[in-house]
Amino acid sequence: MENKAIKVENLTFRYPDAESDTLKNISFELDYGEVLGIIGPNGAGKTTLAMALKGLIPHTVDGEIQGKIIVDGKDVLKHDISEQVLNSGLVFQDPEGQLSQMSVEEEVAFGLGNIGVPRAEMVKRIEKALQTVGLAGFEKRSPLALSGGQQQRLAIASVMAMEPSIMMMDEPTTMLDPVGKNEVFKVLKSLKEKGMTGVIIEHEIERLTMYCDKILVLHEGESILFGTPKEIFSDLMLLKKFKLRGPQVTEVAYEVFNDKEQIPVVLDEAVQSFSKELKA
Amino acid sequence: MNSMYVQGNSFLHQLDPRTKILFVFSIILFVFLFYDPMFQFLVTVSLLPIVFLSGLTTPYLKTVKFMFLLVFLIITVHGLYNPMGDVTKVTWQLTENLSFKHDALIYGAVMSFRILSIGTATLLFVMSTHPSDLANALVKWKVPHAVAFMILSTFQLIPIIGREAKVIMEAQQARCLDVKANMIQRVKHLIPLFAPLFITSFMRVHQMSQVLECRGFSSTGPKTSLREMTIGFRDYAFLTAIALFALAAITLRAVVGGTLLPITDFVLMSALIGIWIVCSIYFFDFLWKSVRKKVV
Repeated sequence: MENKAIKVENLTFRYPDAESDTLKNISFELDYGEVLGIIGPNGAGKTTLAMALKGLIPHTVDGEIQGKIIVDGKDVLKHDISEQVLNSGLVFQDPEGQLSQMSVEEEVAFGLGNIGVPRAEMVKRIEKALQTVGLAGFEKRSPLALSGGQQQRLAIASVMAMEPSIMMMDEPTTMLDPVGKNEVFKVLKSLKEKGMTGVIIEHEIERLTMYCDKILVLHEGESILFGTPKEIFSDLMLLKKFKLRGPQVTEVAYEVFNDKEQIPVVLDEAVQSFSKELKA
Repeated sequence: MNSMYVQGNSFLHQLDPRTKILFVFSIILFVFLFYDPMFQFLVTVSLLPIVFLSGLTTPYLKTVKFMFLLVFLIITVHGLYNPMGDVTKVTWQLTENLSFKHDALIYGAVMSFRILSIGTATLLFVMSTHPSDLANALVKWKVPHAVAFMILSTFQLIPIIGREAKVIMEAQQARCLDVKANMIQRVKHLIPLFAPLFITSFMRVHQMSQVLECRGFSSTGPKTSLREMTIGFRDYAFLTAIALFALAAITLRAVVGGTLLPITDFVLMSALIGIWIVCSIYFFDFLWKSVRKKVV
């Protein structure tokens, strides 16, 4: 039980003056090294859940909260956010709104300075973080002069440099153009290969199935499904009921194959299944 | 870069921001110790070599013209209309009823050169100091971390809000808001422009506060910075020089008084005409550029 990265028990949350609960009785667990994808229609409570996991709820946003959230072994409700900086980091949706410094390197250094990382170590970490997100060589530029995709990668680098155990991202690609999305997903892929533990809220289901080990489906504040992408997306009828769709390959395969067991969720799998089917 | 900082590697650039802040304060002290246009003029002129040596001549000349507009108005209007001192002592009779009075001109000249010298010193500071260094310097002076951040974030926030204002303006124009209407209409139209701007700005700041929390802004304990700042030999040398000057100035003030040399009409006329000439140079430069833009 101690070695779970995230453990949420019966989490219920209501914003002040709201008529109903935004999050209703949510429970799930995530192991270290796993990436959790959270999907759901707008207004399902995805961002609220991310803010609760990071501790912005209840520490900066008021509301009634019940239940238990343990992230990286720390009780989120009891510790202030500043004590959880090393446990979890959150990347927000709006790339520009996250940047506050005069140059790229200072942006990354800002968080490190706040937690008192010595300068020599700081320089090393900045170099490493910018390398990982592919922004090496941009150190002296103004963050405002970057493209949306670059800004979001910079935001990821700034969080990453603080080396939190768990990275959380709240729709990191929603406000980006296709090129920017690709850039960010490339970074996510390399983070995944390095064994990142993470939580990603995202609308692009095809991408999520590639990067995530677990998927949580939210609908009107309730967690309706939780499991591996395969488990979740093979039950397309249930998803349809909640106005969600599966990955494109799954949708096609669902119409073609009779054997529901062999339905693929990612492209490579689909290519295999289809070629097998065609040969037969 | 949104600030007035000009990159460089001169003596002034290498000084610690704290030294430069003290330098600006000492200039302010000098010019307010004395009530003598000659002295104020000398202070201003003595700053010019520093401008040149710091490689800031072009940006300085570009910025200082706005100060000259102010100075031009001050010395002219005060000289003509300020009723202070002996009104009968006339320096330059223009028409029967309009003349530059001696005492009023002294006041105008002193004020003008005070503005110029303080302005020059401040510009030197702003143009040679990176905003992040300024913030760090303030933190070293025990200014709260949050206040230093506020100062720094204005550099970032102002262009963002400017961009947002443009978007809102265009959006409202697309909804038939007439921005070319008459004056009164336009003032009324400020509401649909500013209300959304305020709201988005507040939302942005709110989100920024959450981002800062996530980056450990409110974590207690020592903070570090990427930018290195050390007060070195050159800082001490510079500060010593300033201190010596200040000492000399204070002694002089105590012994001689606020006015060092008798102020003649010639001095006042040179100040007035000098400022007029510089202003007209700037004015004709401006005219020449706008005409050329029209022609080309």
